[in-house]
Amino acid sequence: MAESGTQLFARLEARRCLKDIEPRLFADDGGPDHGEVVELYGPEGTGKTELLYHLLCRCVLPVAAGGLEVDVVFVDTDYSLDMFRLVSILDNRLNAGVSTSLTSARSNDAALRSCLSRLLVVHCCSSSQLLLTFHFLETTLSSRPSVALLLIDSISAFYWPDRSEGGASVTRQEEKLSKCSELMARLLRDYRITIFATCHTIRRSSSGPSSSSSASEPDRSYLCRSWQRLVTHRLLCSRQEAENKLAPADGGNRELRSRQVFSVHCSSSWMGTKASRVSSFTVTDGGVEFT
Amino acid sequence: MVVLLEGMCPGLDKDLLRSLRAADIRTVEDLVSSDIEDVAQKCSVSYKALLSIRRVLLAQHTAFPVSGADLYEELLSSTAILSTGNPSLDKLLDSGLYTGEITELSGGPGSGKSQVCFGVSVHIAHRLKQSVIYIDTTGGLTASRLLQMLQTETDNTDEQMEALQRIHTFRLFDVCALLDCLYGLCSGGLHKARVGGGSVKAVIVDSVSAVIAPLLGGRHNEGMSLMIQVAAALKTMAKDFSVAVLVTNHVTRSGSGEVQPGLGVSWSHIPRTRILLERVETGACVSRPGRRRVTLVKSSRQACRIKEDFDLQRWSGADGEAPSGKRKLDQADP
Repeated sequence: MAESGTQLFARLEARRCLKDIEPRLFADDGGPDHGEVVELYGPEGTGKTELLYHLLCRCVLPVAAGGLEVDVVFVDTDYSLDMFRLVSILDNRLNAGVSTSLTSARSNDAALRSCLSRLLVVHCCSSSQLLLTFHFLETTLSSRPSVALLLIDSISAFYWPDRSEGGASVTRQEEKLSKCSELMARLLRDYRITIFATCHTIRRSSSGPSSSSSASEPDRSYLCRSWQRLVTHRLLCSRQEAENKLAPADGGNRELRSRQVFSVHCSSSWMGTKASRVSSFTVTDGGVEFT
Repeated sequence: MVVLLEGMCPGLDKDLLRSLRAADIRTVEDLVSSDIEDVAQKCSVSYKALLSIRRVLLAQHTAFPVSGADLYEELLSSTAILSTGNPSLDKLLDSGLYTGEITELSGGPGSGKSQVCFGVSVHIAHRLKQSVIYIDTTGGLTASRLLQMLQTETDNTDEQMEALQRIHTFRLFDVCALLDCLYGLCSGGLHKARVGGGSVKAVIVDSVSAVIAPLLGGRHNEGMSLMIQVAAALKTMAKDFSVAVLVTNHVTRSGSGEVQPGLGVSWSHIPRTRILLERVETGACVSRPGRRRVTLVKSSRQACRIKEDFDLQRWSGADGEAPSGKRKLDQADP
């Protein structure tokens, strides 16, 4: 298909590499490069969406506040984007960054608005609409060369409706997600963006000594093969149980608040090598804080 | 899956449709994903015409990206926080039910979920003067109980009648009727319910697990798919019409023996906020049979596992008889 000169430049021009997006999550020098896909997998309440907000803020904030100033496209498949929480994290980080100089409410507002204008949000309500949206996003990607990150929350939202629509044949069940994955592979190749996607668990992990070896591990990916082939880094999120880690409270608070600590196990496999890393974080008003 | 039909867009006439079908292109997705040059050759149509049809169809059926700034502006103007009427519950929910979100209330049998739902609907109908849609799937809703609760709020029978008129009830007992009802509400029912005075600000489904739990388990996946469809309908309604959705759920015991909300892992991602209601088991409980403890299980705004105690018999929390003075005026934030 013929493309115009501007489209060619938009495609070939180097988009911002996101290797340094969060070095504390990935193994040494193993951040997501151009064209790589990171999957955040975990049960409910393990901080996946918070991590997405953290990465989003890191991308849209200005360089002065510790960000990368790139555009982000957020594909929201289950209406889980909480704009107020996102704005409060952005506010917190913007204020922390310029705490020494005098800030007026208007300049803060303007900074916030410029950060938010780097974010594009798309809501999808079915997997066929998701497929069509990716086709449409191709034009968006070619017209906005500053888009470097595509966030999908979550890629598993249509798993059950697709399975039921596909009937008995597994190929038909996975057909739509396979088509989406193939299209995503083409977008990754042509436009060299990075994709982060969350995937919810569908099986509860059986705890205790009664779990037999024949039971399938709950951490195994259940989505179609084409998607599994795309994923280069897998972040397994979980809650750290039992010990209530007492995180030191802010000065002035008399009581020590015990904050839930989450842990992330990152396993990356690219170019034949494998690497892994475990990190942990808590969630505060200012977003994710690594411990 | 959107099937290609004649007249869907200018240029898509019967002949073109027939030649597309012969080339095995039946739906919009097929057309959009296929190679246009290839198809143009096979169907002997001009490449430009097919390209413009593809563009129009894509624009018609895709979801449009919205800038974050515009989305934030829109949410600022349309989101409201509805106080539930009970100060302890409000504290737990970070000042009340947020519109545009699903809040889940789970509890064992007899823990008072329906009573909490009645309290919330009476408060919204009477104090906040907004309409409420109450979908009852258990048969536990009685107007006399609502009237009883209203009578503790006000003695004026006109006001009581007005408040009762603002609560629209639906009684259904299976999941297809529930889906029908939700789709009907989305496509016009919510506007009709406005006639009573005050727009619909809350939709309460008591309980969503009663219609879905019987379908789960077993070899067929129909149950899971229907559950996700109900969730999608509720979320779309919450977001598009700016209403607060409150659903109730039963509880089960986890592998380690602790109580957790039911309907499984796939449902756990759906509600934005989840609270767990339990009876307070203490020895000196005989004099206060309405004592309940509520725990925050999932929230994006507050630390989890904070607990609050309240009394079901005193919904507004005021211990004294005098209605004025100490009671705060609960108003929805504009």
